[in-house]
Amino acid sequence: MKVKGRNVLLTVMTLCLSLLFLFTIQPSHSITTTTAYAADNSLQRVKARGKIVMATSPDYPPYEFQVSKNGKSEVVGMDVDIMKQVAKDLGVKLVVKSMSFSNVLVAVETGKADVAMSGINPTPERRQSVDFSEIYYNGGQSFLINKTDAGKYTSKASLAHKIIGAQTGTLQYNLAKSKIPGAQVKGMDKNTDLVLALKTHKIDALGIETPSAEAYVKNDPDLKMIKSGYSLNKNDTGSAMALKKGSGTLVAAINKSITKIKAKGLPNQYLAQAGKYMKVNTHNTSMFHYWTYFAKGIEYTLLISAISVIFGVLLGTILALMRFSKSKIFHAISIAYVEFVRGTPLMVQVMFVYFGIGIVVNLPALLSGIIAVSLNSGAYVEEIIRGGINSVDKGQTEASASLGLAKTDTMRFVVLPQALKNIWPALGNEFVSLVKESSIVSIIGVTDLIYQLNIVRADTYRGVMPVFVAMIIYFVMTFILTRVLNYFEGRMKHAK
Amino acid sequence: MPNKPLVEVKKLKKNYGDTEVLKEIDGTVMPGQVICVIGPSGSGKSTFLRCLNMLEKPTSGQVLFEGKDTQKFSEEELTTLRERMGMVFQSFNLFPNLTVLENLKLAPIRVKKMSDKDAEEKALGLLKRVGLDEKANVYPDSLSGGQAQRVAIARALAMDPEMLLFDEPTSALDPEMVGEVLAVMKELAEDGMTMVVVTHEMGFAKEVANDVWFMADGYILEKNTPNEMFDHPKNPRTKDFISKIIGNV
Repeated sequence: MKVKGRNVLLTVMTLCLSLLFLFTIQPSHSITTTTAYAADNSLQRVKARGKIVMATSPDYPPYEFQVSKNGKSEVVGMDVDIMKQVAKDLGVKLVVKSMSFSNVLVAVETGKADVAMSGINPTPERRQSVDFSEIYYNGGQSFLINKTDAGKYTSKASLAHKIIGAQTGTLQYNLAKSKIPGAQVKGMDKNTDLVLALKTHKIDALGIETPSAEAYVKNDPDLKMIKSGYSLNKNDTGSAMALKKGSGTLVAAINKSITKIKAKGLPNQYLAQAGKYMKVNTHNTSMFHYWTYFAKGIEYTLLISAISVIFGVLLGTILALMRFSKSKIFHAISIAYVEFVRGTPLMVQVMFVYFGIGIVVNLPALLSGIIAVSLNSGAYVEEIIRGGINSVDKGQTEASASLGLAKTDTMRFVVLPQALKNIWPALGNEFVSLVKESSIVSIIGVTDLIYQLNIVRADTYRGVMPVFVAMIIYFVMTFILTRVLNYFEGRMKHAK
Repeated sequence: MPNKPLVEVKKLKKNYGDTEVLKEIDGTVMPGQVICVIGPSGSGKSTFLRCLNMLEKPTSGQVLFEGKDTQKFSEEELTTLRERMGMVFQSFNLFPNLTVLENLKLAPIRVKKMSDKDAEEKALGLLKRVGLDEKANVYPDSLSGGQAQRVAIARALAMDPEMLLFDEPTSALDPEMVGEVLAVMKELAEDGMTMVVVTHEMGFAKEVANDVWFMADGYILEKNTPNEMFDHPKNPRTKDFISKIIGNV
């Protein structure tokens, strides 16, 4: 009996593992990442593949931002136009991958993308971890302030001992910290959040690149731009493309292209073009205008939650079987897994799957998100199943044993049917909470509702309204789901 | 009475951690015998009963079933033991997810590999015997306590056991329902079923039992015929217990 049960367990586990591998192994460029440092074949590889992948954080107009073209959302801006030109010179196609700014460099280091281009300044610190191209544009540094403060803040000197905002991990952040005496620097991930903080007087000024500052001023009559007055080395402050260390041949090819682009004065043309896009974009800032964004976000949020809850249940069942198994090893593995997953934040798990496992196998963001959320959910589902089984009165097992029923029969006919009644509602709750918690996958660029919300905020220059809309959408989704689940729970109570 | 014992208990001990629940128990159950085990709460009566069908594993000592050591039983032999030694619990332990009929059919079909039709026929016959054939298709939660316990007895009988263990079968019942359950048990005894009954129903013990065992503090302090036990108890502890119980009645 004992041996047989263990064999079944092993079979199930092997099956699930092989399934997982089938899902995760991507035939495309999964092998290239591991061999990258063997010899510099970076240029050759891109050419062989016929496409170059660019990582960017499209919340930084006019460098990169999203517009909706014929109902389809697309990343545009000066960076994208320059990269398109570079790709053309290389004779390959351009693929743009969106993610949060703090992740674009990691994406290059882990081989998720060939080039990171997101208005990145090639600071000495960054040069230690990635290679940079030549500077393709030098926008200069400015501050955004509230128009009402125009009399108070006129230069860098007047900002001493004030609260300065800047994007975390950027040149602006470091400059504010080192060059403005006594300044308190507040870092956030997104410029949209920082502008909102400025307008609500949480910060006094916002350190930002001049082209971006100009864009905000054009779109928001309450804001004013002042020149930074920093004296800076041009090589540190312009924008350059970041590539994985040891991509010398690709960097050289890109530099050649950049020299040509600069000679033709294309960057300024592209900026003007971006300005036109922005006008189209901000022409209509009504939330209804952006309903396709939200709809797509809802679709992905529900998709991730639904798939994750299914795999979570599979994994949770296996973990629960292991927990109840007589094998001490299985028992220990199950406990260790559940404790570890419940003891670490989902956000870290998502980043680990995408970037950490990404070093070995190149997983797309959506798949990484689903895997991370499923692995996380499995631990919670195990607890739900275990709780459900433990909640069945011990007398039931004893009565069953006293009739001579085998353990498996006792489980199948007596314990599980009763446990399921407790498990179903809890699984429903798990699904509802996944709808909310899966929002964390937006940090690796999965276009869920939170991601779309940030895009809409960046596009419309409206900080609060999209947040409110997303809040209502989340509430409506969870409210409806809860009602539907309650309905089925009620029906289950009547029919046994 | 045939002279080969069905169950023999030798120097049975059972500890839960540091607590000694059964200190040293010896006893013999002959086929067809009805033994009532009485004694104050916490004296180890239920634990003793549960050691007989191996719901609890003895710490030391032996329980022999037809001369064979039950602790050395394989999983299969254990199943056979439990088929032949049914048990009725204080809290009925009917399966609430199954109908009354399904409660009776489950073990014969799964353990005895009986056909669905045969199992159903048998189950209906047994339900008729305990007077509950019209409740075949209801779920246990709609039964009264007395009805539930009669179903539980029928469920145990569905396996055709040679012996039945009763663990305080009437203690969880409202007083007006005790009689109907005892009546069924009395009938079983009259039909020659071997029974070990842990009970507080002294009237039943006096009327039906062949032997009454008095348990206290993990020992069987006195074994006697019902008449001797209730009218002339020897052990002072027995005397004390019986005078209290009879006094209450």
